Amino acid sequence: MNYSSENTLLYVENLSVAYGDKTIIKDINLVEKDVIRTGEVTGQVIAVVGRSGTGKSTFFKALTGLVKPTSGKVLIADTTTENAQNDAKEVHEGDIGFVDQKYTLFRNKTVYEALLFALRNKEMPKEAKHEQIVTYLKDWGLEKAKDQYPCELSGGQRQRTAIIEQIFSSGHYMVLDEPFSGLDVGNIEDVKNAFKLITKSHEYNTIIYSTHDIELAVELADSIYVIGYPEIDGKKMTYGSIVKHFDMKEIGLAWKEFGLGHLDIVKQIKNIMLQS
Amino acid sequence: MKNIFTPFENVSKNTRLMIILVWVLALFGVWFASSMGDRHLFPSPQQVLQGFIELYNEGLVVHIGSSLLLCFSAIIIAILISLTFSYLSTVPVIQPVAKALSKLRYLPLTGITFYLAILISDARTMQIWVLVVFMSTYLTTSLLSMVNSIPQEEFDHARSLGCNRWEVLWEVVVKGRIDYVIDVIRQNLAIVWMMLVTVESILVAAGGLGFLIKNSDKFMNHGRIIALQIVILAVGLSIDFVLNYLRKSFFRYSKI
Repeated sequence: MNYSSENTLLYVENLSVAYGDKTIIKDINLVEKDVIRTGEVTGQVIAVVGRSGTGKSTFFKALTGLVKPTSGKVLIADTTTENAQNDAKEVHEGDIGFVDQKYTLFRNKTVYEALLFALRNKEMPKEAKHEQIVTYLKDWGLEKAKDQYPCELSGGQRQRTAIIEQIFSSGHYMVLDEPFSGLDVGNIEDVKNAFKLITKSHEYNTIIYSTHDIELAVELADSIYVIGYPEIDGKKMTYGSIVKHFDMKEIGLAWKEFGLGHLDIVKQIKNIMLQS
Repeated sequence: MKNIFTPFENVSKNTRLMIILVWVLALFGVWFASSMGDRHLFPSPQQVLQGFIELYNEGLVVHIGSSLLLCFSAIIIAILISLTFSYLSTVPVIQPVAKALSKLRYLPLTGITFYLAILISDARTMQIWVLVVFMSTYLTTSLLSMVNSIPQEEFDHARSLGCNRWEVLWEVVVKGRIDYVIDVIRQNLAIVWMMLVTVESILVAAGGLGFLIKNSDKFMNHGRIIALQIVILAVGLSIDFVLNYLRKSFFRYSKI
């Protein structure tokens, strides 16, 4: 499938995070560019896979500005300016949306109140905010849950609310920590549809997610990073880092139905994960 | 029937009511049995009823009102002090002060009353401040525990929505945990209510239930003492019920 890569949307250089003496992740480098496909809006879907304890959650927190890196930097395209192609800015809290594994929401706000809160800093009239919320609630199947509190929502409804909240608040980037964990088949389909809705709505929209379901990573992502303990001079390190990158676009498997080629990538990833 | 003697067994609503009824009847049975004869430990139901009538005629309702007023005045001041310190305990420079306030609960009340007596001359104000000092330490302990038990994910969630640190404090801790504050007050109320009676019996000037107990105690009027205990228990349980009801009615999301 024809595509081209243009402006850099995400640039991570030598990212390391340590808590006290314990280094969790080190020397993480990655570059993700805006993917252009003629005739359709294509956002970016980036998967991060790796065994438990390799630092995926810490990487995500550093990526979203929730944890200060010990060294290195995370840059994103400054889409608030006219010239987004060339402007980059260092990431801060709130620049990149973050949906955690538990789909945390404000326990004291209904779905509508939570979404209105997420829009609080947007310069738009009250009526426009209301319209936007109503439209999203309809598109995402949350109309009936409008006045419900998080404790009254199903897992899928919570997750969709958490995602919309972040779309409203942070703009084009969103990190989801294990969005498929503990979901039934129907809810997994809901999340897949949510991914489509996000990536089809703007060129710059970029989803970064982690999962233990390698098949889902290979099926949905156009770029896959495997995090593991790197081996340097024959010695396995105790910190997490990117040990392999699969560019599904380059391989020719992105945006295609899951087939034999995908299965081969699944095997390769599983092998790498077991070795690292 | 065998089920009601088996651990972790679920019983029907009717069975549960029946069990409660049997226990209440057993309590009355023991009461009647232990209050019969010439020498008895507890006053008879007739004596307690007589005690109720005497207390009512002596202005029991006014005394209950006086105790409640003292309780609410003290609780409002104490909760304001405790909330301020607990919320600000998230600020590193205030945290040691909040923790120290919580630790002061080990101080004996006598020492506190001594210094308060030097500072305050009015008996009613003295009663209020003895309770405030005492309650603030316990309330701060519970509220600090409430703040500390908020999951990190909730703070991260607020931060990911672009909240600055003060907004995080306001949204997650202050607004997000109001129902917990009511529950903390409810849980600490039993201690406060118990202390209130003691405080009133030390400083009898303004009346109240504690004053009535002290008076009855002096004349060894067992019927009145038990009648008062029942009133104090009933009023305490009513406040507990009202607070719980308010929490559930005003905060639909509250599932504590």
